[in-house]
Amino acid sequence: MSQSVALTVDHLTKTFKLHHEKTNSLKQLIANRGRSRYDEFTALDDVTFDVREGEVFGVIGHNGSGKSTLLKCMAGILQPNAGSVSVAKRMSALLELGAGFHPELSGRENVFLNAAILGMSRRDIARRFDEIVEFSGLEAFIDTPVKTYSTGMYVRLAFAVAINVDPQLLIIDEILAVGDVTFQQKCMEKFVDFRNEGRTIILVTHALGSVKDMCDRAVWLTHGKITGEGDPGELVDAYTETMLGSRDRADDGSLRRGSGEIQITNVELFASEEGRPVKRFRTGENIRVRLHYAAEKAVPKPVFGFEIEHLGSATVTAPCTRDVGLLPDRIDGRGHIDITMENVSLLAGTYDLHTSITDFNRQHEYDRLHVALRFDVMTGRPYETGGVVSLRPSWTIN
Amino acid sequence: MTLAAARPPLTRSPYTVSRMSLRSAMAHRNLLYLLSLKELRTRYKKSIFGWAWSLFNPISQMLIFTVIFIYVFKAQAPVGDPSGVRNFPMYFLSGSLPFNFFSITIGVSIGAVQGGAGLIKKVQFPHEHLVFSVVVAQFVTLMIEMALLTVGLMALGNNVLPWLVPLFVVLGLLAFFTSGVALALAAANVFYHDVNYLWGILSQILFYATPVIYDPRTLDFTPIKVLAQYGPTGSFITAIHNIVYDLRLPSPLRLGELVALSVGTFAIGLWVYNRLSPKFAEEM
Repeated sequence: MSQSVALTVDHLTKTFKLHHEKTNSLKQLIANRGRSRYDEFTALDDVTFDVREGEVFGVIGHNGSGKSTLLKCMAGILQPNAGSVSVAKRMSALLELGAGFHPELSGRENVFLNAAILGMSRRDIARRFDEIVEFSGLEAFIDTPVKTYSTGMYVRLAFAVAINVDPQLLIIDEILAVGDVTFQQKCMEKFVDFRNEGRTIILVTHALGSVKDMCDRAVWLTHGKITGEGDPGELVDAYTETMLGSRDRADDGSLRRGSGEIQITNVELFASEEGRPVKRFRTGENIRVRLHYAAEKAVPKPVFGFEIEHLGSATVTAPCTRDVGLLPDRIDGRGHIDITMENVSLLAGTYDLHTSITDFNRQHEYDRLHVALRFDVMTGRPYETGGVVSLRPSWTIN
Repeated sequence: MTLAAARPPLTRSPYTVSRMSLRSAMAHRNLLYLLSLKELRTRYKKSIFGWAWSLFNPISQMLIFTVIFIYVFKAQAPVGDPSGVRNFPMYFLSGSLPFNFFSITIGVSIGAVQGGAGLIKKVQFPHEHLVFSVVVAQFVTLMIEMALLTVGLMALGNNVLPWLVPLFVVLGLLAFFTSGVALALAAANVFYHDVNYLWGILSQILFYATPVIYDPRTLDFTPIKVLAQYGPTGSFITAIHNIVYDLRLPSPLRLGELVALSVGTFAIGLWVYNRLSPKFAEEM
């Protein structure tokens, strides 16, 4: 792999003025004698790093860490207060799909216009037009106004244009998840092609999994400063750990809603033979979840449920008592519900457990506790490197 | 960082927040063409008469002023020298069409940069074309209107054909002048929306300070007389009257003034736009 540099961020600093009252009229300007009172907010503080040619480079950080500001400075949209960004190659930044699409114009006209906005010459557009339309799969609708398109069609066309701009350096902001599964598959293939062709990709995202999987290197931003730079696996682990740490400090990090006649007061997790509650167990262990409830008054036919969500990706399971026909006529006072699960198939990772109590129709929510419990699953048996659960496959090669 | 020492020299990207120049604007002329086309194509969407509206407006304006001035106030149309033509509707249209081009272009383009906020905040592109495309689209409309006016003047015996080249030159200068004003005001409007409302008043004043509905030589009120004959819009309209109504070239002094006015205003407009544009994305 070539070691030459595709993009350099050099001592980049960006501050924003936070106006107490935004002066958008002359009257206010005159009243304030030409000065408006403001605080300065430093979104990026002396950020320096290089992105090498041909690598996939990730930028991670919590909300408000300066990721978007960095992205906009790299894309040339925001002017930094100090420092600079230098780009060696033709760059394209995908911050929003279909920016500048005009609803009254046809798909064809919008393709030409959007591609021109993204910096393509007329000859390039004409040469790639068929490819763009084919990629979008909208051959039949290309001459109808885009106002008649569904959201999915709109996004597909926009993505098809953006990806065909043919940049040597691509900056992507959280837009991988567009369209249906087939289209997503096509997008992933396109990214892999990009990568294999030795182009440089900068990925700014919350999806830590994709950073781990796709990136060669990454930086981690905290409050506008670089906290770490280097191997994405280590960085994502360190980042996740810090985020979990800050969760422990913040009371318990849970969010409650619902009408409140009956509430979950505590959730405990027991693993294998351990007598006291735990927060981690291994794949393949037997576990028991205990939901403690308290009802102010008798509640008829409540349905208890819980959800297990893999941190940052998908809901793994969401069973409830109605599914198994467990329907007490009424619940009053205090008590607990035990849920045992044997030989748990969850693979190593961090998971959130949300609980809910609803009426029989699952329409009215008595109580919903978001992140009632966060727990870690450690590597055990079975062991698999990818995915969230194991379906315990047995392999035969013939 | 160990990498820094081995860093090869980098060329400055054309994509970092860049100043507008005529060269970069030309390099993206495809975008200008497509934006102008969009401007023209979407202007009369969802209207029954569509493009006919671009003719209805000046004609109805002409009828209104003709009735008021000729029939209500019993005013006299000026006599073309040396053409000898005497026709108020034609005098009115040859002034109002270019003036309306100027005033409508600026009125529309004042909001054009702010209107492109969704784009400017998300994509690095030569956003000055949001303004230029309005000028181009309005200029195309003006060309069509002037062509019809030419037919009208020919029918009255005013042979404009030999004068089309100087007419086109003056209209071209007017487009440059208009672009300069439009660039400055569109950029300023991002920061203070008052610009938009101020323009509404200013364009009214300018209309009456420009010889569209009267002959400035017949005026007694000196400030308006001077403004109408030598003010920016007054100069342009007087020159156009000279060419298409009187059928003679404007004086060299007048032409010199127009060249200086358009080049100067355009340069100032560019300067203002470039001063303000790096802060656009932040202000929107």
